[in-house]
Amino acid sequence: MIIKEIKINNFRSYYGSNHLSLSKGLTLVIGDNGDGKTTLFEALEWLFDTTGENRKDSHISEKRKSELEIGESDEVSVNITFEHDGEKEIEKSFTFERISEDNIRTKDYKFIGYFIDGAERHSIAGDRLLNMCFEPVIRKYCLFKGENELNVFDNDTALKTLVDTFSGIRDFDRLVDLTSNFEQSSARAANRELQNDKKVSNQAKELNTQLNDVTNDIQSIKTELNQKKISINEFSSKLELLEKNQETSERYQAIKERIKGLKDKRAKLVAWSSCEYSTNLLDEYWILRSFPAIIKEFSAKVSALSKEKRRLDKQETERRAKEAGEREAISKIQKLANDAVPLPWNLPDEATMKEMIDDEICKVCGRPAPKGSEAYEFMCNKLNEYLAHIAAEANKNSGTKEDDEKPLFPNSFINELHSRQIKLSGDTEQEISKIATTISDRLEFVTKRKAELAEVDKQLQELETEQNDLLMQSGLSAELLDKSISDLRGFFDAKSRAESRVSELETTLKFKESARAEIQEKLSQLEPTSSMTQVYQRVHTAFERITKAFANAKEQNINNFLQMLETESNKYLQKLNKNDFYGIIRIRKTINNSARIELYSDNGTRIENPNGALKTTMYMSVLFAISQITTLKREQDYPLIFDAPTSSFGGFKEDTFYNVIDTIDKQCVIVTKDLLNIDKATGQKALDFDTINKLSCSVYRIEKVEPFNDKDLSTIQTVVTQVR
Amino acid sequence: MAAEKIYDLWASRNPQWEKRYEDSIIKNFCDYGRGATSLREDRGKVFGGGYEIFIVAFFMGLYFNQKRPLIEDTQKRKTFGQPIQYWGNLDSVKGRKAYPKLREYIFTALVARTDIDFIALEKGEMTSRKAVDMLMQTMEEYANWGFHFMEDKLTDDPNYFFRETAFLEVFLAFDASVAESTDEEEPESLD
Repeated sequence: MIIKEIKINNFRSYYGSNHLSLSKGLTLVIGDNGDGKTTLFEALEWLFDTTGENRKDSHISEKRKSELEIGESDEVSVNITFEHDGEKEIEKSFTFERISEDNIRTKDYKFIGYFIDGAERHSIAGDRLLNMCFEPVIRKYCLFKGENELNVFDNDTALKTLVDTFSGIRDFDRLVDLTSNFEQSSARAANRELQNDKKVSNQAKELNTQLNDVTNDIQSIKTELNQKKISINEFSSKLELLEKNQETSERYQAIKERIKGLKDKRAKLVAWSSCEYSTNLLDEYWILRSFPAIIKEFSAKVSALSKEKRRLDKQETERRAKEAGEREAISKIQKLANDAVPLPWNLPDEATMKEMIDDEICKVCGRPAPKGSEAYEFMCNKLNEYLAHIAAEANKNSGTKEDDEKPLFPNSFINELHSRQIKLSGDTEQEISKIATTISDRLEFVTKRKAELAEVDKQLQELETEQNDLLMQSGLSAELLDKSISDLRGFFDAKSRAESRVSELETTLKFKESARAEIQEKLSQLEPTSSMTQVYQRVHTAFERITKAFANAKEQNINNFLQMLETESNKYLQKLNKNDFYGIIRIRKTINNSARIELYSDNGTRIENPNGALKTTMYMSVLFAISQITTLKREQDYPLIFDAPTSSFGGFKEDTFYNVIDTIDKQCVIVTKDLLNIDKATGQKALDFDTINKLSCSVYRIEKVEPFNDKDLSTIQTVVTQVR
Repeated sequence: MAAEKIYDLWASRNPQWEKRYEDSIIKNFCDYGRGATSLREDRGKVFGGGYEIFIVAFFMGLYFNQKRPLIEDTQKRKTFGQPIQYWGNLDSVKGRKAYPKLREYIFTALVARTDIDFIALEKGEMTSRKAVDMLMQTMEEYANWGFHFMEDKLTDDPNYFFRETAFLEVFLAFDASVAESTDEEEPESLD
């Protein structure tokens, strides 16, 4: 099967119709991330999927979908034309129709194959044609996504599938089964005859019982032995890996420690950088940040009120004191009058007295009374007494008495406010004025912790990348690298326990096998009376030998197949690693009948961790070899399709790789972003024509149509351009 | 009988607010009308009890020094379940701290900003009930303005206050320094 043309219609980013013509050798499809490389690969995967309809809305080109008016429809299809005993074609398609603003309906799923018979073109079910020309087991070794899928022996049944498909051992299996059946039937028949033979019947029966017992023992020993061997194998490979990767393991542990440290730090920073900004307004009184001004207002108001109240109070007290004083003075005056003859209180009168004080002369005696003199003071007192008398009189008339008077301020709310003011001043006020600083300190603290957090996150990401790279490069699992020295000792112990058990079992097995051989020998040496019984015995012996021969031949056949695969693989490995170290591929059969691809140096040392590019070429060489064998066995060629197989390659290695692939006589489609140069300054991408021009293959460029909206899938469209 | 205190009279009251803010603001940011507030985080609310957003609104009005009279129709007003004296007690709310003193600061602010003739009150020429009514009016009008302010912000951007620091930022915008008023009298001696 050689693919001649691929047509893709409205499949995801492949808007409208697109086609690629493939050459018989290498076809390169070059595109950057997001340009539609994997989509191309997946379109083919969809076409080659014979397990069911698998039509998905996500297969429909968003761009085409967005253009449809209600009632309009279009088609998604992937089609290949290929050569396989004449030209054939396979197409998978379905129709999509817009039925409302938000809904698209899909219908008319078709999977059809076409072939030409004579001059006529016939149609046939697509899956049937595909299974005829490109059977599932071969497809499995033809399409590979990324570097990680290249190790085809990564699962236990892979070797068996391969051997069954390509080595012709399946026919052998039938022969092994058949002869083994013959052997068992002949053994039963011979036994029956022996046990019926008068002469040897008793002996035969006893020997047979022994034989059964010993055979059962052997069977169970073998089962246990097999299990132990598998575990030893596992322990050995783990130990081997751990020992040989001590350095990696140490680095891994160091990174792990740092990650742990950073994660602890991160947890602290997360706690520190969290801040309940809103509830702190209340819980931490942050809302009082601008409150000092209000406190000032309050204080000023309360002070003024307090002052005013005291002023009024004082005034009132004075008034009352004055009244009381006057009443007392009057009574004093009245007392004096009893001792001597007093001058009437109204003599001299108010006007006369004021005049005398103003003139500083006592107009009663005619002597001067300058300010400050005793006589002047006397006159002033006399006037005050006069006024007090008048007032007291007036008071007496009004009838009010001090004792009956209500207080001026029956309430003490202002005092309440005043004590509140006192409470607020001092420490409280100072605390409130600190809130602004507290908030800004806290915000600054949080900002700094957030910056630190971002830095820690960055470091964590770098370390995690480093950790992943380490895992990728070493090819070891995190679980294995996590094992500490104590685990290593555990492996050793378990392994040595298993080993001593194995040697015990092997000794027992040898013993039992020789016992069995002895019994069998004794059985064969029994001399029955009947000649027919003797014939049965001989027939059984013959079948026994034939069965052994077939079993050995089957084993040999598998080994031969692996040998052939190994030889072919090494040829490709050498080609793919021209001018570089490449080593020798060995395909080893494991105890549980699967296979492992390993790389060895010329001197017999196993290369535990070939670098990424070497590993990839190693697996690819095996793939090419399998493909080569397929071609030989089926007398048909099959394509190999790779999606981005070279991501671990460096620039130089890439060039050599494509140069070699270019010359390999095999249809190969590689979808890649290699051979695309990106101008760092402008971000412009351009094909690496220096390398491309040295190749003879077909080259396609796929890219997104500009301009596009990076958030809107319906603006994304891949265009396919044939470069050469 | 101990002399009645105006603070206690005030604290036993329950301020009114306009019903129209119930859905747009109070229920949006508080667990108002949903019982225990311990599940605040789960519900993604910024605040707990409904009065918390009222306090926030009040302080907005206070610092902006903007009042807004409440709607005339008393049918369109509502009060919270608990009077002021219980605000901020938060005894059983996970992850929160009680802030009982805040009530006293609110009272302080109301006294500072309400034009009450305290001399008349002191003389008994005005009832304490009347004075507390006036304090409550100031409180309600400041908060009403605050609610209005928030609603305004939310109209422009419904998610405005769901930014972590949005409420705090409003308060950071005010001047935190003590206003140096020139016409202020020297504090009196306290004797």
